[in-house]
Amino acid sequence: MTSLQPPTSTDSQRAAQRRGGAGGERASLRVAIIGNPNTGKTTLFNALTGLRQRVGNFAGVTVERVEGNFRGPDGQPVAVLDLPGSYSLSAGSPDEQIALEVLLGRDKDRWRPDVVLVVINAMHLDRNLFLASQVMELGVPVVVALNQFDVAEAEGVAIDVPELIHELGVPVVPTVAKRGEGIEPLKRALFIAATLPAPTRRFALPAAADTALASLRDCLTADGLSPIAADMESLRVLGMSRTDAHLAQVPGLADAVIEASDALRIAGFVPARFESEVRYAWISEVVGKTVTTRVNTGRSLSDRIDAIALHRFYGPALFLLVMVLVFQAVFSWATPMMDGIEWLIGTAGKAIGSQMPAGDLRSLIVDGVFAGVGSVLVFLPQIAILFTAIGVLEHSGYMARAAYLMDRVMRKVGLHGKSFIPMLSGYACAVPGIMATRTIEDPKDRLATIMVVPLMSCSARLPVYTLLIGAFVPPIALVPGVTLQGATMLFMYLLGTAVALGIAAIFKRTLLKGPVRPMILELPPFRWPSPRSLAVSVVQRCQLFVRRAGTVILSLSIVLWAMATYPKATVDATLPVAAQQEQQLEHSVLGHVGKAIEPLVRPLGYDWKIGVSIAASFAAREVFVSTMGTIYGVGDASTDDEALQARLKRERNAVTGKPAYTPLIAIGLMVFYVFALMCMSTIAVTVREAGGGRLGWSWAALQFGYMLVLAYGAAWIVYAGGKALGFAG
Amino acid sequence: MPPALALPTLQQNDAQPTRTTCALAACRAGSRATVVDIECSADEACRLRALGLCEGTSVNVIDTRHAMLLEVRGTRLALGSAITAGITVQPQSAQA
Repeated sequence: MTSLQPPTSTDSQRAAQRRGGAGGERASLRVAIIGNPNTGKTTLFNALTGLRQRVGNFAGVTVERVEGNFRGPDGQPVAVLDLPGSYSLSAGSPDEQIALEVLLGRDKDRWRPDVVLVVINAMHLDRNLFLASQVMELGVPVVVALNQFDVAEAEGVAIDVPELIHELGVPVVPTVAKRGEGIEPLKRALFIAATLPAPTRRFALPAAADTALASLRDCLTADGLSPIAADMESLRVLGMSRTDAHLAQVPGLADAVIEASDALRIAGFVPARFESEVRYAWISEVVGKTVTTRVNTGRSLSDRIDAIALHRFYGPALFLLVMVLVFQAVFSWATPMMDGIEWLIGTAGKAIGSQMPAGDLRSLIVDGVFAGVGSVLVFLPQIAILFTAIGVLEHSGYMARAAYLMDRVMRKVGLHGKSFIPMLSGYACAVPGIMATRTIEDPKDRLATIMVVPLMSCSARLPVYTLLIGAFVPPIALVPGVTLQGATMLFMYLLGTAVALGIAAIFKRTLLKGPVRPMILELPPFRWPSPRSLAVSVVQRCQLFVRRAGTVILSLSIVLWAMATYPKATVDATLPVAAQQEQQLEHSVLGHVGKAIEPLVRPLGYDWKIGVSIAASFAAREVFVSTMGTIYGVGDASTDDEALQARLKRERNAVTGKPAYTPLIAIGLMVFYVFALMCMSTIAVTVREAGGGRLGWSWAALQFGYMLVLAYGAAWIVYAGGKALGFAG
Repeated sequence: MPPALALPTLQQNDAQPTRTTCALAACRAGSRATVVDIECSADEACRLRALGLCEGTSVNVIDTRHAMLLEVRGTRLALGSAITAGITVQPQSAQA
């Protein structure tokens, strides 16, 4: 190929498109990174950018958009966009569609890269070159990073890099991203490539096929594609089904595809396979000339680990062990850190408060702001631990084995094998669990999982269960070692889980109906994760959480504080502090809300006091217990469960004189909390993970709504049903 | 002009296989086969081909207990039964 291809956009157009890059300066270069999954693409991105990353969403879709920046060899600012891992540009999933649109400069943000960095796994050159060959035909300069070069060398795979450069016609830089090797030469290569003409197709189609595709190419160039990109597209669209929406978008494309397909058949080719045949034929030639493999006699370490991980008996056993470890880590190991954070925030709040005169401002700062900030930061240990665990499982390669083992079970309810970890972590806390659903590629499977994760009884429900079980369930032993109290607790957990699976099945058959995607899963070789890359990912997740969810939670905390504090009631100063708080609460906006919703909760057997506690616990479920403590004048109920429990047992209904709380009401209340989404943090995270903006809020509203309906209905069934059956109401 | 491609598979398009073929789903663990045809939805076929599983490729069947575990071009792939039922292969002799 000797003819120079004209640049696909003029220099002035490109300059006009450049936005601010590193530290607000204009980026000298825009780089898009693409590659197969499991090539170490993210590790390379992290090695280039460190913590200088920004995470968002591509407009209108749930695909995550990660952008970062770094300094070039002479200090120039470079903006880099990490495109989702793709096996090809053939647009089977939203991820791959977005990648293609960005590379063609057709995405909604119009972020056209100056250079595309294709990350290739040196161990799997042949398969990775499929994507590379497509990307090299888009008319944008390309650099290839030959990553995991160390693994290839260790496994006896020798790659003649200069020959590969000659065959591909683009710069190729060997890298070991997790050790940061090859990064500087890579940066230089990116700047050099930007000055070179864009690469072109490295092989020629058989003449008959070329003619057959001519009209198809014309149709695409008429739509605005450059000749070279039209070449690539003409091959790509041959593989699309007739009903693909993309075909309808370009005028005349569907007919042109049919025409070209017929012409290809006459010439002796099969249209659906044509692209893969020509590309792999070229790839075989390239690989034949550049790669020599030392014959490996023994099984690799990876195979030996798989012998256990996928073993009939040891496989599930190992899986169980790993899951228990993850659960334990998120549930227990985080607790000391969470306590530490709560103590720190509490002490800081009191210290600041002691410097201020008593009054509303102090209350706002201490009870509103500090308490609000504390309730955000307290999630960080769990998020950090869960994402570290997930990072280790993903990068080591075990996650794929886990998804493989769980697939059959999850598939029965229409969920993905990868839904297991988010749901498991939901037992600790739904917030990191929902954030963890991003490992699920299919958007419908991901949304279905997000919708049901909050039904797994999280640790915040424990104080509610403990209070009510402690007060109203007698500690009788059912069998040695198992009490009725313990059994009730277990029942609540199982109830949440069973309903979660059922609801997921319903979602997958209705709103999120989609063809149950048959499994196509790559099991990458086992490898050690890079600690540095892992640390960058985890820190980034935490930052993201604090910025997005944190602001929502903090604002709502302040609003709830205001609702509980205003309007000011004239309190009887002779009463103890706790009783004064009770009076204030009754007269506040929150108290009025409680009284207003009393008619709604009366069918469930509750009065306005429980109503207020439920309303207040919308912030976080634990608030139910502390609000109840305030209402019943026992002060800080979280440290003094017995006092509150005793108080509840004694409470009499003002009208009937009968006990206000009975075991039946308590069970009904617990069931309410099993199902209700009383957690604004979860809502904040759902909004983001479901796509942000209106889309995100709609899904979060649906989630809150269906869970509330479920909660009310179940509580009513328990209460009304129990009364009908003759239990004391 | 770059050299013309050697496209070995194209010659086999017309030649009807005289040896037996079967669905990939029917293959046993430890066997080896060559892919003859892929019949599934366009999206899945695209993904399979991009993963290296296309007509003419040789595959090793590793495990069939859960979904089917294959080795293709040095990579391990797990494929659901809906897919393996649609892939026609020509079995070769079992792995030594």
